[in-house]
Amino acid sequence: MGSFSNVYWLVLPLVVAISLVYSASRHEAWPRIWSRSLRLCLWILAILIGTRAILLLINTQV
Amino acid sequence: MSQQRISLRDPVKAAFLAWLVPGLGHYYQGRKGKALLYAICILGLYLVGFALGEGKIVYWRWVNPLNNPEKFAPHYIGQFFVGLAALPALIQGTIRHFSPDSNFLWGFMAEPPQNVLNGMILRLNKILEIGVIYTTVAGLLNILAIYDAYEGPAYIDLDEAEAEAESEAEAARAASNGAKVEGAV
Repeated sequence: MGSFSNVYWLVLPLVVAISLVYSASRHEAWPRIWSRSLRLCLWILAILIGTRAILLLINTQV
Repeated sequence: MSQQRISLRDPVKAAFLAWLVPGLGHYYQGRKGKALLYAICILGLYLVGFALGEGKIVYWRWVNPLNNPEKFAPHYIGQFFVGLAALPALIQGTIRHFSPDSNFLWGFMAEPPQNVLNGMILRLNKILEIGVIYTTVAGLLNILAIYDAYEGPAYIDLDEAEAEAESEAEAARAASNGAKVEGAV
């Protein structure tokens, strides 16, 4: 599978799907579903990127 | 709470349909937008994962996990909740358990031989793992959808607006009480 040079991109659809389904299961109104899922998506991505940055820092500095 | 405001029709039937095909339970309840969203997200995730694993990552073995943990396929417990799309694996696993040489459905979703699995691990590496994660998470997400079909959403707009208005009114009451006490002192 040479076409997937960077598997990290495959996290994106997973995070989007999780955010949408979770928000849809909590709310019924569409504007709220979209806004909450966007917020959750950004939170998950921020945590993932932050964790990755910390691990990278530890890995390169130690 | 929300059940009074959203018609869930027959919740048990809706939950069963939601398990069978993601989104079908919501379609039955007339919540067509949500049905589409669940179908696209859950089935899409499952099918992409299935394709990434070349159709060989959804399978089930009837083994005791305590006696034979290496042969146990825990990911299928999650995948099972995708419903009909993952059900052939359970049927194949059961048939193979009683008749190991069976060629039911030409081995579709049957447990792949160990040499095939080993070859896939070497060839696909992380992609195979991501395929397993996609298909398993799809099943786990469908549990949320099944619960939504059975019980309705945790909040609906009106509930949240009411709760917010109530908390604001309570805060205002507390503030005015505080002001009165201060005035009295």
